[in-house]
Amino acid sequence: MTNALVPKALIRYAPLLILAAAWEAASRLHLVSSLALPPLSDVAQAWVELVQSGELVTNGLSSLYRAGAGLALAIVVGGALGIFMASSRGVNAMLGPLVELFYPMPKSALIPVTVLWLGFGDGSKILLIFLGCMLPVTIGAYNGARGSDRHLVWSARSMGADRLRMMWDVVVPSALPELLNGVRTALALSFILLVSSELIVARQGFGYLIGYLGSNGSYEAMFAVVLTVAFTGFLADRVYQSVVARVLRWQE
Amino acid sequence: MSGPAQIVVDGVCHHYRPAVGRTVLALENVSLKVREREFLALLGPSGCGKSTLLYLIGGFLPTETGSILVDGKPVAGPGPDRGIVFQNFALFPWKSVRKNVLYGLERQGLPREEREKRAQAFIDMVGLTGFEESYPSQLSGGMKQRTAIARTLAFDPRMLLMDEPFGALDAQTRSLMQSELLAIWEKTRKTVIFVTHDVHEAVYLAERVAVMSARPGRIKTIVDTRFDKDDPEVHRTKVFIDKVDEVWNLVREEAIKALEKRPS
Amino acid sequence: MHRMASGAFWSAARLAPIVALLAGWEIFARSGAVTPFMLPAFSAVVERIYDDAFGGELFINIGVTLYRALAGFAIAAVGGVVLGTAMARNAVARWFFDPIISVGFPMPKIAFLPVVILWLGLYDVSKISMVVLDAIFPVVTATIAGIASVEKELLWSARNMGARDRELLWQILLPAALPQILTGLQVALPIALIVVVVTEMQMGGYGLGGAMMQASRFANSRGVFAGIVEIAIIGYVLVALMAMLRRRLLRWHQEAQAVTEV
Repeated sequence: MTNALVPKALIRYAPLLILAAAWEAASRLHLVSSLALPPLSDVAQAWVELVQSGELVTNGLSSLYRAGAGLALAIVVGGALGIFMASSRGVNAMLGPLVELFYPMPKSALIPVTVLWLGFGDGSKILLIFLGCMLPVTIGAYNGARGSDRHLVWSARSMGADRLRMMWDVVVPSALPELLNGVRTALALSFILLVSSELIVARQGFGYLIGYLGSNGSYEAMFAVVLTVAFTGFLADRVYQSVVARVLRWQE
Repeated sequence: MSGPAQIVVDGVCHHYRPAVGRTVLALENVSLKVREREFLALLGPSGCGKSTLLYLIGGFLPTETGSILVDGKPVAGPGPDRGIVFQNFALFPWKSVRKNVLYGLERQGLPREEREKRAQAFIDMVGLTGFEESYPSQLSGGMKQRTAIARTLAFDPRMLLMDEPFGALDAQTRSLMQSELLAIWEKTRKTVIFVTHDVHEAVYLAERVAVMSARPGRIKTIVDTRFDKDDPEVHRTKVFIDKVDEVWNLVREEAIKALEKRPS
Repeated sequence: MHRMASGAFWSAARLAPIVALLAGWEIFARSGAVTPFMLPAFSAVVERIYDDAFGGELFINIGVTLYRALAGFAIAAVGGVVLGTAMARNAVARWFFDPIISVGFPMPKIAFLPVVILWLGLYDVSKISMVVLDAIFPVVTATIAGIASVEKELLWSARNMGARDRELLWQILLPAALPQILTGLQVALPIALIVVVVTEMQMGGYGLGGAMMQASRFANSRGVFAGIVEIAIIGYVLVALMAMLRRRLLRWHQEAQAVTEV
């Protein structure tokens, strides 16, 4: 079984290997300026050095802490808000238009104001990610809760479940897929907002490190961190998807 | 009603090769002759390959083994000589009824005035006058199927291939459409190959019913179903009921076999 | 008549929370619970916007930002549909680009901004390129999904009626995939705006992002809030225009939905 899987994955991701090889070749053969595009092997080496010096890990943890905290708050508050809106006509009428209003606003516009309020440190980033990521979670929770099969709800009520219990037993599980999808969007958005704000206004973190290395001329190291961030975002999404798949399956 | 054979299917086999899973033999050594201007029904249980046979004749699937000759020439692909009507109507949803019907005429490069005239004539023939500018999403199932039939008739194919065209309609509409189709056929007299799993429908509409076996499909028997169908109460006449019995007995064995084969 | 009246009622009902929010903002800001620095009054922000419009650079900034965002969006739209179509119909294209798309989609591509600047400099080219890099992904995936979901019977019918390969693509495949392609475009548009604002903030200069960052550096909170309001309005208008375009192009599609709402 596993013998069949390995070649399959290899065929699937082969184009990436080809690109990597092309990168290395183009750079070493000076087909492109090796300043603008340092050889991949040099980048890899710089990456190792960054890890050994601790710079990558320290900044990385700082970034992940900010994103994690902001996202966690966004999920809790946004999720509750969305479910609340779905269950109460009044709340929906009040908050619905506001959600519609803020949805198209580029969340990156909040970067300067969070900096204004909380400076260059963790607080501004966490606030930014919290505010920016709340919306997709709210919308996901709302859509999910609204889609709850009315018959399920009625059955639960008739079996004596009070409002809160019913919400837990019926609404939340059936709302889960859409809610989890909203969280997935929020996850991607959190990385975008994190990196964006750190590139512009930070003294620590992945984005800051990229900027610092770039301004230093240490392009190999800069590429190394760029790729690290990019792949972290990719991995986070993949891990999230497999966790979600497990949760939904366990639910069945 | 006999004349030179228009479609000759000889020794055709076809395999169904899904992307995942085993290859399955869908049709085994199918041979059939369809005469010019004949209305032939292909009848059989689900999965017997009747639609597959239709698609092979239509040129939508390549002939692997055996040959399919239309007017003496082997089938090389789809073409306007063999008009097809699908169960799910396959109307272009972004085009109005009129534009749908016009499509085949445009492909043929007819001059504009002639196109418009023909399209309107066929829209009228199927009883959709007044709905020319409606979109498919605004039409009922029966109206959609009428549009599909008008669209296919409009470019004047030599024969009609119909794949369970009334399968998606409710019972009343279906029976209405059956009599309308018969009336249209009697007027235009094209060769028709009509795929269905409904015995009553096959006996009512067709001149001959080719009963297919369960998968892998073969032509089991061909039953002659020509009799006077003008009587509006024909469904209750003894002739009709006897014919239905005869065909049903043939199909039933195959239907049971098909059920047994299906993994549940 | 009755319908118009109830339509007006619903619009008013939907505006009410927004008006309430703005009123609440004004009252809270003036109440003294927070400093005018932390939360300038809505009226003060409006005043600032007014000043920017008639004496300052508001329109230049809006124009520049819109130009970059829309240019990038247009390139991403065309490029995305072309790439998506190629991937949907050609196995080699699909094999080659599939891992790039699926790995690249969840990446925060904004991380590549310094690389893009390194390669393309500090002008519009790099900003627009960044927009394209981010906005193309949803268009590609939507196009692939849209084309894959076209019923084979539609294509078969068209071929049955004599359509040739080229005609199939333009006359059947793309129109049939249009609803999903438009959805992809609707996702890409806000992305374009987010990215353009970030790149402007990073690189400075003209544009709403640059102006806001400037205001922030000078601790000019009115300017910062003015920027938020301006960008929010622009974002809202663009998304609304896109929705209107969708309704128009998909008249044939939406009809079905309108019927069920009754």
